[in-house]
Amino acid sequence: MKNRLKVLRAERDWTQAQLADALDVSRQTVNAIEKGKFDPSLPLAFRAARLFGLAIEAIFHDPALDKEESSLATEIKKDTYA
Amino acid sequence: MLSMDYILTIKDDIMSQSTMQESGYDSRTRANVLRVFQWSVAWVGTCALLVFGPKFLWAKVLVFTLLAVGLNVLVGIGAIMANKRYFEELDDLQRRVHLNSLAITVGVAFIVAVPCSVLDSYHVIPFHADVAHLVMLMGLTYGASNLYGTRRYR
Repeated sequence: MKNRLKVLRAERDWTQAQLADALDVSRQTVNAIEKGKFDPSLPLAFRAARLFGLAIEAIFHDPALDKEESSLATEIKKDTYA
Repeated sequence: MLSMDYILTIKDDIMSQSTMQESGYDSRTRANVLRVFQWSVAWVGTCALLVFGPKFLWAKVLVFTLLAVGLNVLVGIGAIMANKRYFEELDDLQRRVHLNSLAITVGVAFIVAVPCSVLDSYHVIPFHADVAHLVMLMGLTYGASNLYGTRRYR
């Protein structure tokens, strides 16, 4: 799973420690999520979404799902113009 | 040219070193670790009392031995509750690291204990397979797998 946590944090000029404190997790956890080594649980993803004032899918997204959606869109286009 | 990731990482390191403030999560974890340590030390103390007490302190009087057993069980329950609280208050990543370590430890314990017991009963191994060996093995396995897990997600 990919995420925009690092970008969102940089936009606010926060350190990993400050973000970890705001999310009530360890700095290692924030670091692991940012590097894509660890996927957060749903409650933690909700906490991050609340903190940044965004929807969960605006922060976290599954590349495999993007691929599926794009192939589905291609199929719909084919059907429409066929 | 320096990448954005590299600059951010350097900045994080500098800022976290300069502030060095302990977060709520860190202080809560520290308190929980201390609580687990205190209960574990108390439990080891009651184990020692149970092992040496009957011989050196109360000349094998059954009532005192039973009281020592009761104390050992009560303190053991306290240690379990402290451990439970510690695990419940860990964050997602730390909980996963500990869960993986526990899974590896239980697996290793089963895989090693059963053949060792069989080999001991047939006098194949030169020593008596004692439960203390198993406890030591579990402790070492847990420590090593925890260290591996922590480094893996660094």
